[in-house]
Amino acid sequence: MSANELAVDVKNASFIYGKLKALDALSLQVPRGISYGLLGPNGAGKTTLIRILVGLLKSSGGSVNVLGHSPGRRTASQIGYMPQQQSLYSELSVSQNIDFFAKIYGLRDKIERQKKVNDTVKLIELWERRNDGIGKLSGGMKQRVSLACAIVHNPSLLLLDEPTVGLDPELRANFWDHFTGLNRQGITIIISSHTMDDAAHCDRLAFIRSGQVIASGTPDELTRSTGKNGATLEDAFLYYVRLGEKKNA
Amino acid sequence: MPEHSFTIANRIINQIIRDRRTLALILIVPIVVMTLIWLSFPKELGMLDYIAPALLATLALFFGFLLTGISFLRERSQGTLERLMASPVTRADIVIGYLLGFFLFALLQSLIIVLFTVYALNIHYTGALWQIFVFQVVILIGAINLGIFISAFARNEFQMVQFIPLIILPQVFLCGLLWPVEQMNTVLQWIAKFLPLTYAVDGLRGIMVNSKSLADVGGDLAVLAGFALAMSFITALSLRRGNTT
Repeated sequence: MSANELAVDVKNASFIYGKLKALDALSLQVPRGISYGLLGPNGAGKTTLIRILVGLLKSSGGSVNVLGHSPGRRTASQIGYMPQQQSLYSELSVSQNIDFFAKIYGLRDKIERQKKVNDTVKLIELWERRNDGIGKLSGGMKQRVSLACAIVHNPSLLLLDEPTVGLDPELRANFWDHFTGLNRQGITIIISSHTMDDAAHCDRLAFIRSGQVIASGTPDELTRSTGKNGATLEDAFLYYVRLGEKKNA
Repeated sequence: MPEHSFTIANRIINQIIRDRRTLALILIVPIVVMTLIWLSFPKELGMLDYIAPALLATLALFFGFLLTGISFLRERSQGTLERLMASPVTRADIVIGYLLGFFLFALLQSLIIVLFTVYALNIHYTGALWQIFVFQVVILIGAINLGIFISAFARNEFQMVQFIPLIILPQVFLCGLLWPVEQMNTVLQWIAKFLPLTYAVDGLRGIMVNSKSLADVGGDLAVLAGFALAMSFITALSLRRGNTT
């Protein structure tokens, strides 16, 4: 696959927090225009990888390429980032939060920006609550506003760090409808999660454990590789964990 | 001017305006504090006239530091700073944006303190009112950046408040508010020379009590301006990507 066809190309990236090796020579290739799931338990290195891709952390080795460049200010305007924390200004309203990020990401024209903000508020189905302060919203509504802040500038790449955590099943399905819609517009989505429900929605997956990719492929490829009929993604994940442990033993 | 500074400043102003209780406290607390100080001093000795310049300088430093430090800490702990640092904004955008946003409210507080002290409490002073404001502005710029910088070392509001006795109180004791710097022992005098509040008090007292002009206290003003500039620079350096939590 050529570099132009890849949204993300990571080769042997490492990162150490004090004595903890969060990423251990991790390699990953994400083609453009698909939804790619980073699946693994808490502490596997998913958030560290996303923070490196968005340019908040610097890999201590290897190479990291995002949309053809090293992550940083140059790539920032083309990325939409939804952190694990909701990261919203609680005193401001739904519209004011989205409008602030629209301005920061370069939507200068007031009329055009206003239209884009309104369209985004409608997309997340919070039009009736657009003037309410963030503090008055439920957890799920705040998650939707956080997503809106990440997509208002039409990014080419969307990095979502555990976006569905704490959401009820109905809202989770709603979120995936949004993600599928964004995917259809050609936006590449990288989503970290530790739930198999999210994983099943992705075009491709990488199982991450102890800062390394232990397996990658489509959900179908990964479940089939276990050799069991009716294997789930959870079975596939455990299969690769045990396979790795056997190799290391 | 960096591209996004006004956007950030505008957002901060909107946040504070929408938070009515904070806005009310910003406006009322300085008046309450100055009234309490006025009530606690004997009026006939003219003592308050002498310490008023030191109080104005101290309160500007204290309120500027506290307002910005706590607000910026919330940006760090709520993750909004991380989100901002992941966007195309520069460090200069953030430092100048915060400076502009908080400066408006810190200046408003200072104006209230000075005007209330001069007109309502009837403190006698010499010199021009605008010269006092020039000093207040320079003190505030340093205090705001000091608050942003120190917030990097605190993980919650409780820890941030603990920095007050460490950063502000030594300056209050050694700046000449409680007793003249010249009467302290040599070591304390030496330490006082490195504290910005010492120069703020010396300059303001020069203008308000000793009828000096702004040019006469230019040395004090230059030290304070140097401190404000240095703090702005250090604050910008401390806002590295990856150092947002």
